[in-house]
Amino acid sequence: MSNYFYVAPEQLIKDRAEFAQKGIARGRSIVAAVYDKGVILVAENPSASLNKVSEIYDRIAFAGAGKYNEFDRLREAGIRWADSTGFTYSREDVDARALANYYAQHLGDMFTEGQKPLEVEILVAQLGNKLRPTKLYKVAYEGTISDEPRFAVLGGDSETIKTRFATAEETVQPLDVTLRNATNALSGPERTITAAELEVGILEDRGHRRTFLRLSDDEVSELLG
Amino acid sequence: MGLPLYSAHGDPGPSFWHFAETMGLTWVPHATANDTTHATTVIAVRYQGGVVMVGDRQATGFYIASRDVRKIEPADHFTALAISGSAARAIELLKITQLSFEHYEKMTGSALSLEGKANYLSPIIQRNNLSSPLIVVPLLAGWDESNLVGRIFEYDGAGGCYERFDFATIGSGSPFAEGTLRLGFRSDLDREAALELGALALYEAGDNDPSTGGPDFVRNIFPMMVTLDEKGFQELSVDEVGERFRVINQRRTESGGVAGGALR
Repeated sequence: MSNYFYVAPEQLIKDRAEFAQKGIARGRSIVAAVYDKGVILVAENPSASLNKVSEIYDRIAFAGAGKYNEFDRLREAGIRWADSTGFTYSREDVDARALANYYAQHLGDMFTEGQKPLEVEILVAQLGNKLRPTKLYKVAYEGTISDEPRFAVLGGDSETIKTRFATAEETVQPLDVTLRNATNALSGPERTITAAELEVGILEDRGHRRTFLRLSDDEVSELLG
Repeated sequence: MGLPLYSAHGDPGPSFWHFAETMGLTWVPHATANDTTHATTVIAVRYQGGVVMVGDRQATGFYIASRDVRKIEPADHFTALAISGSAARAIELLKITQLSFEHYEKMTGSALSLEGKANYLSPIIQRNNLSSPLIVVPLLAGWDESNLVGRIFEYDGAGGCYERFDFATIGSGSPFAEGTLRLGFRSDLDREAALELGALALYEAGDNDPSTGGPDFVRNIFPMMVTLDEKGFQELSVDEVGERFRVINQRRTESGGVAGGALR
């Protein structure tokens, strides 16, 4: 017969939350913000090939902070979900809110029932059109989903970065200004982040069905000025 | 549908078709329904700097089911897929193909090579044609970004994929189009000459094959003409295509319907 030590549920949740927070804080952060013509996702990412920001669907982008293998699997599941939903119904029926809800349910399940909680925070961004609004859905490690009106920060130290960005950008700005503010918010006053250390993706209407665009280092440096 | 998560060993990878199979989204084999077929002519001609494709617009069953079908569609920015055979299956193949190329690109962060795209279709065609009476035979052409050339890939009914270095045709009007192409093809064709030859070959097919729609001057519906080059998939406007067929028609009228001389 095996013996289990009693652990109070409050303690269990607290331990799991601390575990996840620690894992997430080890990674670099991401700022997502609405600018005058679209949505920008700015990640501090020294790797040029292991992406934190990606395309999910025509008007939906994904960003993940924390453990790469964990959020990348969620990214893949998101693309599969979106492509098969669009295949079954219609491209216009693919809604970021539904996807964010699935992510929230999965993260919530893993937090309470999994071997360990996922050490990730993710964001589902949607570029609005006449059918749907522009939205930033942030999903935390324990499945809390929040709908951020203008910007969101993922990863460790998010409160500090959030305050810095909110102070710098009081209203919706053009792309270059928003990118500069996001970069400064990520770096803080002590250090500078170069274009090569940034990964930037945008959702913007450019006359194509697919609105996601990954900006090259050159394009980022030019915008940073 | 919930979130499609897989463990590493059960993961279908970046192939949408394999993923769709696991989800039960693909077609059911052994179907016996008698779908409308669309007998067809689609032509691809290689030229210096790209590929020209020309396709008729008619869907034929026991009667003309439609006069404005698009049998050539962009599979992605640099690739076109033309379809012949059962309309229902062909359209599904087109949908799967378009989605698969984009799906692969999103999943892996880079686009498939043109050869990769051509090979990808083989098992899908094989699966469909060997398990169903509704045959579909596509034709793939595209701009190869790695080698900077236009390339054409044709398939047999069992899914075999063959690269063609001159031209290719699919559909019931093939023999007539093929004859014209064999007489008119040169390896140094430029874009303009390839467009002219392609239009003429389609005109011939439309003239002789009852299931291929030629230029319809009454309804102002003309065969589709497409080029694939370094700029990607580009479709010629109705006016531009109409003008080309008007010239051919005029010449043919003047000669009393005799196609002779310098390929006219």
